[in-house]
Parts: sequence; structure tokens; C-alpha cells
Amino acid sequence: MFAIYKQMWLVNWAEQWQYRANLLMYLAFWLVSPIVYLAVWTTIASAQGNINGLTAPDFVAYYMMLLIVDIATSDITIHIFAYKIMDGSLSNELVLPIHPVLQKVLVNNLAFKALQMLALVPIWLILYVLYQPVFSITAVNVLLAIPAIAFGFLLQFFAGTTITCISFWTTRAWSISDFYSNIFRLMAGQFVPLALLPAFMQTASQLLPFRLALYFPVQLLLGKLSIEETMLNIGLQMVWCVILFMLFRVVWRTGLKKYSAVGA
Amino acid sequence: MFILKLLSTYLKVNLQQDLAYRADAIVNMVMSIIGTGWDLLGLSIIFANTKEIGGWGPSELIALMGVWRLVNVMMATIVWPNTEKFNTGVRDGSLDYTFLQPVNSQLLISITRIVIWRAFDLAIAVILIIVGMTGGNVVTSPVQIVAFLALTISGAAIIYSLWITLISLTFWFTKFDNSVTIMAALMDAGRYPAQVYPYWLRALITFVIPIAVATTVPLQALRGELVDLQILGFLAIGVAAVIVSSRVWKAGVRRYSGASS
Repeated sequence: MFAIYKQMWLVNWAEQWQYRANLLMYLAFWLVSPIVYLAVWTTIASAQGNINGLTAPDFVAYYMMLLIVDIATSDITIHIFAYKIMDGSLSNELVLPIHPVLQKVLVNNLAFKALQMLALVPIWLILYVLYQPVFSITAVNVLLAIPAIAFGFLLQFFAGTTITCISFWTTRAWSISDFYSNIFRLMAGQFVPLALLPAFMQTASQLLPFRLALYFPVQLLLGKLSIEETMLNIGLQMVWCVILFMLFRVVWRTGLKKYSAVGA
Repeated sequence: MFILKLLSTYLKVNLQQDLAYRADAIVNMVMSIIGTGWDLLGLSIIFANTKEIGGWGPSELIALMGVWRLVNVMMATIVWPNTEKFNTGVRDGSLDYTFLQPVNSQLLISITRIVIWRAFDLAIAVILIIVGMTGGNVVTSPVQIVAFLALTISGAAIIYSLWITLISLTFWFTKFDNSVTIMAALMDAGRYPAQVYPYWLRALITFVIPIAVATTVPLQALRGELVDLQILGFLAIGVAAVIVSSRVWKAGVRRYSGASS
């Protein structure tokens, strides 16, 4: 079992390493919007002194941390799997003794992520010199961030795979995926730290799972959360992972029955 | 006349293609509306915390959002789908058939795939621009409106020309087929006035991937921030971009030798 993952990792790593130049292009997707929002909010914060107590350096630290966590917990299933349902090439994978999603897509995701992280390092360091963020990172928070990021990724992975599986019915699921990323932008803290949302949206963002995948690990690493809050949030992450995993299994099973391989 | 007939034929074929995915198209339109509301919500969050950003008020940012969406419509209707088609064409050699047609090949590769339902987004963009323009208390002169419209069109033409140039480079560097991705990645920077950004990002989206020229600049004309010479300068760049890119395309086509040879 473990050997399969290891072998797939090696293949994926080698495969994606071929497309280094492309990786840099894709990295730009994760870089641009945090830098844009950083610029927008620091402009406002420096003009006013602070926004709700958050100063320009607070925003800088927030978005610099977000750059790392966003890549770590994001999921690219729709980009690497949706077309297989659409053009029928999923058929070839169904006959293999490997789960097309839970093994193949997962490892693909991880290899992509690892390379993106590697490419991010020099760029992040340049941004560090440009913006000079101030972090107060403790070893405990970094240790706690490991499960928080891992569960954050799994949460997005199961959400992403479930959305991609909608293609079994509609053939294309891009619009639903766009919708998800739109909600994620506001509800997970990509656009602005959640504390600055209007009251009703703050309540909504607390109840919804999106913040667990991004805002929570970022705040944890910035040292804004107590141990109790952290534990509670990790617990919530686990609950949501189970719920979304069950949802994925249902959608996958019923979807496969519906799947008729285009052209067959 | 011939070109119009060609265009209408392609529109018809593409309409038929899109009708095969009706559910997707309808869902997409609904999502566009929700997405617009969501973007406006984002703006309202910004303006709940401040009166202006970089000197721009809410209605100006709404108009900017409209112009930004206008550029996005062009990307989503023509640029992205045809890039996909073009890359496949280079890889499997089906581009040969395009060049055999007795029509301008640049026109042909620009309209082979048109995602029709995106025209719906066009309406949203125009509404946003009108709302933004009438919402503010800034008095706009007819000259400023004409300059705004002209710069919007020339801005879009610059982006289109950049696209043509980038895909033409595939003829020289086969591995270059993902250069267009960088355009998509930088699109987000067009949502806000370029003055807000640090100098390096502003330089990048003005000179390298000129998203700001297509979004911020027309709005600046509307705000009366540009002198006549600047307006004429940007328009001249637009015309030059179109001419240069079609030259590059032609030179690229001469280099093309088909996938098998």
C-alpha cells in the first residue's frame, strides 16, 4: 500500500519536474492576488493609521504568511482530473488497481504542491526583503500548524474532488469550481482578515468550513490563537474532513454508475 | 462582407457546440450574476473601512470593475478557448488545415472557438460601467467619455496583440505554449487602480503585461487625469501593438513547418 504511494510520488515528481517553466507560471496564480490585496489594505491602513486596530505591518505579516499556507492547503483536482471525466480517459484508470482519485490525484496534488513550495522559496525571500514583515513565531505554533495545514489541505481536497465529480452529471464543473473559489476568497480570508468582515459575514464565516483551510492555520502561525482555540479548530477540521470525505464517497459511487465514458 | 459571413458561420457553429452543454451555460450565467454581487460585496467591505483608496471613490472602482470585466469577457470568449485550440493545433499538426484556408490566418485562429454565452458577461460589464460613471459626483465632459471609450478599445487591442505575439512565439520556441498563463495570473491585478501597487508591480502591469493600460488608464481619462498628449500616446501604442503583433504572427507562420516534419 505504502509502496504504491511511494512509486507514484517518484513518477509524479519526475513528470512535473519536466515542466519547471510551467510551474513558475502557475505559481504566479498564487502570488498575484495576495500581493494585490496586501497592497490594497496596506494603502488604506497607512492612510488611516489602522483599520479596526490592524496596522499596515499587521497586513504585511498576514499576507506574507497567507502566501505559504495558501499553496500548502490548496487543491488542484479540477485542473488535473475533470478533463478525464469529460473526454472519457478515466476509463483507462478505472481498470487499474489504484484509486484514480484517492491515490493518483492525491499524490499528483502533493507533488505539484512540493514543487510549488520549492519555487516559492526564492520569491518569498525577495518579498521578505521588500516588505520586511515582522513575525512572532513560536516552536509550539509551528508544530501545531503541521496537523492544521494537513487537515486544511484534506478539507479542500475532499471539497475539490466532490465538486469535480459533479462532472459525472454535467460533464463540466468549472463554473461550480469558480463559485467555490469565489466564496473561498471572502470566507477563508484571502481577500481580507476575517475580523474586518461585516458582522453577518463574520458569523457566516465562523460557521462555514472555509476558514479552517486558510484563515485558521495563518492565524495560528501568526500566534493569534490560544491553545484551546487551536485544539477546538483542529477538532472542527477533523469533523469537516470526515463529512466531506463521506460526501465525496457518495458522489463518487453514484457518479461512477452514471459515467458512461464519452464515445462509448 | 466575406469576413462577416465567415464570422457568422463560426458564431453559428460555436453556438451549436455550446448548446451541447446547456446546463453548464445556464449555471455559468447564474454564477456570473452571483460573482458580480460577490465582487460588489468585496468593494463594500473595502469602503466600509475607508472613504477612498489611492484617491478613488466607490463609483470609480465600480466603473473600473466594469472595464476589468470587459477585458475578461474578451479573454474568456476568444483568448483562452482559442489558445487551447491553437496549442493542440501546433502539437498534432491540425494547424496545417488552418493555413490552407484562403483567409487571413490570424483572424481564423482568433475566432475558431467562441464561447458564446460569455456575451452575457458583456452586459454585466456595460451595466457596471454605466452605474459607476453616473454614480459619482464627478462631472464628466463628453470629450472625457470619448477618450474613455477609445482607450478602453485600444487597451483591449493591446492585450489581444500581446496574446497574438505570445502564441506566435510558439513557432520559435515550441516549449513556450504556457506563456499565456502568465496573462491569466496577472489579470487579478487589474481590479484595483494601479496607483495602489508598489512600483515594481505597477511597472510589470504597465510595461510587461499591460493589464493596467487596459483598465486603469481608460478610467484615468474618465477622471480627467490625462492630458491630450498622453491619450494620443496610449492610442498610438494601441495601433502600433496591433501592427507589430500581426507582423510577428506572419513571421511566425513562415517558420511553421507542421508537426510531422
